[in-house]
Amino acid sequence: MQIEERGSTHVYRQIKMLTEEQLVQRESRCVHGQPAYCIAACPLKLDVKALLRAVAGGDLDGARKLYDRIAPFPGILSAGCGAPCEAACKLGELGDSVSIRDIERAVTRFGARRRGTMLRMKKKKTVALFGSGRFALFLAGELHKKAYPLTVFCAEADAAAFLNAAADGVPADLREIDLRLLLEMDIRFVFQSALDRAQLDAQRAAYDLVCLSPACYRTLWPDGEADPALLYDPAHGVVAGLDGGVLDAAFAAKRAARTVDRLAQGLDPAGARGAEGAVETHLYTNTDDITRTARVPCDGAYDRDGASSEAKRCIQCECDECIRGCAYLRHYRKSPRVLTREIYNNVGIIMGDHMMNKPINACALCGQCTVTCPNGYDMAEICQLARKNMVATDKMPLAPHEFALLDMLFSNNEAFLCRPQPGFETCRYVFFPGCQAAAVAPGTVRAAYLDLCTRLSGGVGLILGCCGVIADWAGRDALYDQTRALLDRSLARLGDPIIIAGCPTCAKALAAHPGADVVGVWSLLCEIGLPEGTHAPERPLALHDACGARGDAATQAAIRMLAARLGCRIEETEYSGDRSPCCGYGGLAAYANREVAAEMTQSCLARSDAPYLTYCMACRDRFARAGRESRHILELIYGAAADEAPDISQKRDNRRALKRALLRELWQEEQTEMKLDFEVLYTDDARRMMDARMILTEDVAAVLQDMRETGEAIFDGESGLTIARKRIGNTTFWVKFTREGDAVYRVHSAYSHRMNVVRRQS
Amino acid sequence: MEDRTYYSIDPRGKLRCVKCGVSLVKGGARFLYLDNGFPVELPVCPKCGFVYVPEELALGKVLAVEKALEDK
Ligand code: SF4
Ligand code: SF4
Ligand code: SF4
Ligand SMILES: [Zn+2]
Repeated sequence: MQIEERGSTHVYRQIKMLTEEQLVQRESRCVHGQPAYCIAACPLKLDVKALLRAVAGGDLDGARKLYDRIAPFPGILSAGCGAPCEAACKLGELGDSVSIRDIERAVTRFGARRRGTMLRMKKKKTVALFGSGRFALFLAGELHKKAYPLTVFCAEADAAAFLNAAADGVPADLREIDLRLLLEMDIRFVFQSALDRAQLDAQRAAYDLVCLSPACYRTLWPDGEADPALLYDPAHGVVAGLDGGVLDAAFAAKRAARTVDRLAQGLDPAGARGAEGAVETHLYTNTDDITRTARVPCDGAYDRDGASSEAKRCIQCECDECIRGCAYLRHYRKSPRVLTREIYNNVGIIMGDHMMNKPINACALCGQCTVTCPNGYDMAEICQLARKNMVATDKMPLAPHEFALLDMLFSNNEAFLCRPQPGFETCRYVFFPGCQAAAVAPGTVRAAYLDLCTRLSGGVGLILGCCGVIADWAGRDALYDQTRALLDRSLARLGDPIIIAGCPTCAKALAAHPGADVVGVWSLLCEIGLPEGTHAPERPLALHDACGARGDAATQAAIRMLAARLGCRIEETEYSGDRSPCCGYGGLAAYANREVAAEMTQSCLARSDAPYLTYCMACRDRFARAGRESRHILELIYGAAADEAPDISQKRDNRRALKRALLRELWQEEQTEMKLDFEVLYTDDARRMMDARMILTEDVAAVLQDMRETGEAIFDGESGLTIARKRIGNTTFWVKFTREGDAVYRVHSAYSHRMNVVRRQS
Repeated sequence: MEDRTYYSIDPRGKLRCVKCGVSLVKGGARFLYLDNGFPVELPVCPKCGFVYVPEELALGKVLAVEKALEDK
C-alpha cells in the first residue's frame, strides 16, 4: 500500500484559498490587535497600557518618555486632562477604574525627561503665533517639536506669564516643570504685543504661516469660520484655535500643527491626515477571573510607590481567550488573526520556503477556539483550507501525514472487517468502534460487541475500520471520498443499519454520510442500561471531553450519566464540555508535530492530578503514553483491565489479532496468518527507538526478509552489527542486527530516510 | 565538470559488503528527493554498488535536507 508523494518542488501551481474579502471577513473577527479601552479613548493616543506597565514595574522614566511623546507640557496636561481613558477603563465595570491621570501626574513629577541629543535642523518655513492660553501654549510646543522657526507674539511680559495664562489651577510644582520645558525651547518671544490688526498686518509678510489663539482670532475676525477639525480658516489664510478644556486644547494644537505641516508643504490641509483622535475599539477582555480592587488612596498626589501600586491594578486588557485554552496558539505565540494572515500568505508563496507549513499542520482542528473566542473565530477552518489547498496544488509534503494515512489504509484493508451478526443476513444495527479502539483496547471492543449482540434485537453487525477522518484531517479529499465509499458499500451490505459509534469523532464523520442514522454507544447504553457486574474505580476521575463531541451536548450528558450510573466520582475541570482542549491526536498534530502535540497533552493533563476518564480512545492512549493513568468509559463499563499503552507496532498487531479472533470465534472463519520463516528479537532500546521513529516491526521484518533473499547487507567491524536496508514505498528502512541463530535476528537499531539514494557513476 | 558533492564519508576500512566479501570504499552516490538531486560521497561496495547511509547521516543532514525540501 502506498500513497503518492508530491511530485516535485518545482511545480508552481496556485489556487487561492480564500478571496481577499473572505480573508478580511475572517481576520476581522479576531479583536486581539484592537487597542485597549483606555488607549482607544485617548484622542492623543497615549499608550496607556504600556505607561501603566512601566509604572507598575517602577520604571517612571520609561513611562515619562511615553507621556512626553503625546504632549509638550505634561504638567498642565496631567493636571487638567479630562481623562476619558479612566471613563473607558475596563476595571470601571467592576468598580474603581485605574487612576490614570493621578499616575500621569506622578510620572510627570518623578519620571526623568530624556533630552533629545540630536540637534535638529530647523525647517525653512517660518511661523508666527499670536496670543496666549492653552491652545497657543500647546501649539507653540508642537511647532517647536516640529522644528519650525517660531515667533510668539503675546500680551504677557515674560515666558512665565505666557505659561501661566494656560495654567489656571495647575499645582505649582507641575507648572514649574512645564516652565522649565518652555524656557528650554528655542522660541522667539515678542512680549507685550498689542495683538491687533495693525500688528498682524505689519508682521504678516515676514512669516510663511500665521497661527492665532482663539481669543485673537475672535477679536480680529468675529465672524471667522475656521474649520473645527483642521483649525484652518482658508478665507483669511490663518490657523486658528478652539476654546475648550486642557485635553481639547492639546488635541486641537496637534491637529493645528499637522495643518501647519500640510500648508508649509503647499498641500491641502485636509489630505493625508490619517485617523486622528479617539477611536472605537472592539476589544473583548474577560474579567470573570478578575477580583475587584479599590483604587489605591492617593491623598492629593501619588508618590512613586503609590503610583506603582495603583498601576499594578491595571489588568493590561487584551483578548487571549482562545490562546489561554489552546497549547498550539500558545506555542506559536500568535493570535488567530496574525496566524490567518501568515497562513494565507504562505499558501500564496509560489517558490521558496513555506515557513507556515508547520503551524498549518500542527493545529488539532479541534474547534476549541471557536467556542472560547467571543467572536467564534474558526482557526480549524483556516488550517483545514490551507491543507486542502496544499494538497490540491501539490505543495503538501507527505512526510507529516504519511504514517497516519498508511495506518488508515491498514485499518481499512488488512484490519478491515464487515460482518452481520451471525445468524443474520442484514442487521438493525452495526457497531463501529473506531480504528483507535481496536488498536488500543481490542478486548474492550470484543466485550462491547458481544454485549450489544446479546442485548439488542434485530442483529448487530460489526465494522472494524477507520471512519476516514484521518484523510480529512490530512486535507486529502480524494482519499476521504474513497473511504466514505468503502463504508457506504459496507453499510449497504449490512442493510444500512443504525450505526452505533464507539468514538465521537467517528460519530460525527459517519453522520455526514447521506441517510446515515448514527447513535453513540454511550447514548445507547444510557437507554438499555449498563451490563451486569460493572464496578466503579475508587478514586475520583477527571473527565476529559473529546473534541469530537464539541457542540454535542447529548453525548457530553450521556457520558456523565453513564459515569454516575457506574458510581464514578467525576471531577469537572476548567475547560470541560464544549471548551475542552484536544489531547494532541486531533488534526494529526501528533504525527505532524510531536512537540506541539505533546504540549497539547500536557495542557490537558495539567487540569487535574486525578486519573482521566475519556470517551475517545485517542485521548485515552495519549494520556497513558504521557504517563497518566487513563480509562476509556467503555473500558470501565466492560471491565477490561487497563493494559499498558501499546506502541505503534502493537497497535497494528492488536487490530490484526482482534479481527482474526472475532472471525474465528463468531463467524468460524480461519484467517491464514502470514508467518515469517525467521524470528526477530528486539533490544528494549530498539523497540523504543522504533516507536519514536515510527518504524514498525513489519518494516523491520520486510528489511530482513529482503536481506535473506538477496544477501545484501554490510558488516560494520566497529560495532559488530550487520546492516540491511530496503526501500518500502517512499521510505528507505535500515536495520542493524546481530544473528542469534540460523533464522533468529536480534535488532539493535532501526532508522529511515525518505530521500532515495542511488549509486553515481563518476 | 565535477559534480559538487554535499557530503563525503570515508568508510575507513571498517565496513565490509556481506554479499561480495569486500571492503566498502568511498564512492559517488546521489540523493534524490522531490525531483531534486544531491551528489554525495558515501561508503559503497566496489563490486555490487551497495550504498551505505549511516544512521548519524540519515538522522542528521539527510533529515534536515528532507525537511527543507518538503517545505519548498
Ligand atoms: S479569542 Fe482569540 S481569535 Fe477570538 S478575538 Fe480573542 S484573540 Fe482573537
Ligand atoms: S485595565 Fe488597564 S488596560 Fe484595561 S482599560 Fe483600564 S487602564 Fe486600560
Ligand atoms: S488546535 Fe484547536 S483550539 Fe487550537 S487553533 Fe487549532 S482548532 Fe483552534
Ligand atoms: Zn557488494
